[in-house]
Amino acid sequence: MSSVRLSNVSIHIPVYDSSSLRLLRMPSFGRAKVGSRTVTHSGAAFVVHALTNLDLQLGDGDRVCLIGHNGAGKTTLLRLIAGIYPPTSGALEVDGKVMALLGNSLALNADATGYENIRLVASLYDWPKDKLPDYIRDIEDFTELGEYLSLPTRIYSAGMLTRLAFAIATMRPPDVLLMDEGIGAGDAHFQAKAQARSQDFVNRARIMVLASHSVELCKAICNKALLMAKGSRVFFGDIDEAFGRYAEMQ
Amino acid sequence: MAHVFDATTGAAMPKTGGARWLALRTVRNLRKGLSWAWLDTVCQYRRSKIGPLWETVNVLVMTLGMTVVSSAVIGGTVTSLIGYVGLGIIIWSAITALVLDGSMTFVRNREYILASNLSIDFYIGRTIFRAFITFSHHLVLYFVGVAVGLITLHWVALLAIPGILLLFANGYWVVTLFALVCARFRDVELIIRNLLQLAFFVTPVFWDYRQVAKERMFIVDYNVVFYFLEIVRAPLLGEVPPLKHYAVVLAVTLVGFLLAYVAYRGMRRRLAFFV
Repeated sequence: MSSVRLSNVSIHIPVYDSSSLRLLRMPSFGRAKVGSRTVTHSGAAFVVHALTNLDLQLGDGDRVCLIGHNGAGKTTLLRLIAGIYPPTSGALEVDGKVMALLGNSLALNADATGYENIRLVASLYDWPKDKLPDYIRDIEDFTELGEYLSLPTRIYSAGMLTRLAFAIATMRPPDVLLMDEGIGAGDAHFQAKAQARSQDFVNRARIMVLASHSVELCKAICNKALLMAKGSRVFFGDIDEAFGRYAEMQ
Repeated sequence: MAHVFDATTGAAMPKTGGARWLALRTVRNLRKGLSWAWLDTVCQYRRSKIGPLWETVNVLVMTLGMTVVSSAVIGGTVTSLIGYVGLGIIIWSAITALVLDGSMTFVRNREYILASNLSIDFYIGRTIFRAFITFSHHLVLYFVGVAVGLITLHWVALLAIPGILLLFANGYWVVTLFALVCARFRDVELIIRNLLQLAFFVTPVFWDYRQVAKERMFIVDYNVVFYFLEIVRAPLLGEVPPLKHYAVVLAVTLVGFLLAYVAYRGMRRRLAFFV
């Protein structure tokens, strides 16, 4: 049983400008104002209200895509669930192992080869050593990167990095998998394979949250959608309805 | 209130007994930092045949230069000084690596901190073990010194091992504390860089502290870096460091870890906001 529960969660992100990132600084006069969001001044920095009173309950088998305009709070929500950002108020409970893939790369050393990076991630995420050869074979099959896996990841294209990262992240599915739009970089063939792999993923009753602007990708690998605007929840449920409402907003 | 997650296991940090829990997790994660640092080193060797030994060449050149200057200005022969100065510079470069790479640890790993839920311990471990691996490469010079007869080998040299362990154990709190503070206040790194430069001249790295006039001895006595230097260097040169040196180092270790713990509790959660 894995679950993600957010009740009344808000996140205020302090924005540190170049002056507030210094220990020794001149006193500042004047205040910052930013965009349409509520921006308040607090101490050294100003603060962006990135999520406001968000409620959300996810359980086994939920594969949710986050949709909304740029700046709607999708990445912030993913970072919150990943434990990267702490909630400013409200409660967050996550049961289960989390894996966050919020860029398009899991290559932790760009000079190392694909294989070496796989082994490093395997070590960092405690993969059982005896099964590693099987995992690597599976990743070879999924990514179809061939001999590129023996070359430094520095030379990979964005799409190739995406394939590798997705393959690694879904290799030993965590209880909760979080992914950002970076994985949209894969081509159509990749997306078809990603869909098949996600099906396998849901058979094991895990939670997946994906932020993406790609309708096809969302429909391919998700079964629910969360539409967000200005850090709040607008709609949660059926994907088609969510995209319908999203279209109306534009 | 929400839990603080152990990024990779999903375990929530308990409200009580946090220190013990943190210590256990830290040790587990150190091993993983070593895997990462090891891969970095492998890649370094791939770029050039001698890998990190390029830095050792730097250390050698620095040693030769400093020894000549020191013997000319302060007195003594080059051959009698070179072991003392060389080891001084080797240990000093380890300290510099821990402090400077340490303070940039989180800023440099910004993209991973924001994009993955890898534990920040991995970045800390990576920095420490990279410094350690480079230091081990530099130690080759010590054995060269022994081989050509510039340094005599004593059993006492084995006492350097606890010294080295203490030095790098202190690296842990140094990296943690400085990485957090320097991520929040970007100018601190520049301040530290300046102070380190000064400290190189103030600390008896390339000059012999025994030649300091008694009434000026305070510049050595009150310099904590000196004690770290001596618990590694003195045994390698065949002298047993006085107990006082170990006492000072242990006291600094204790205070340092306390400071790092306070900084960690206070800043860990907000780290992603300011990197």
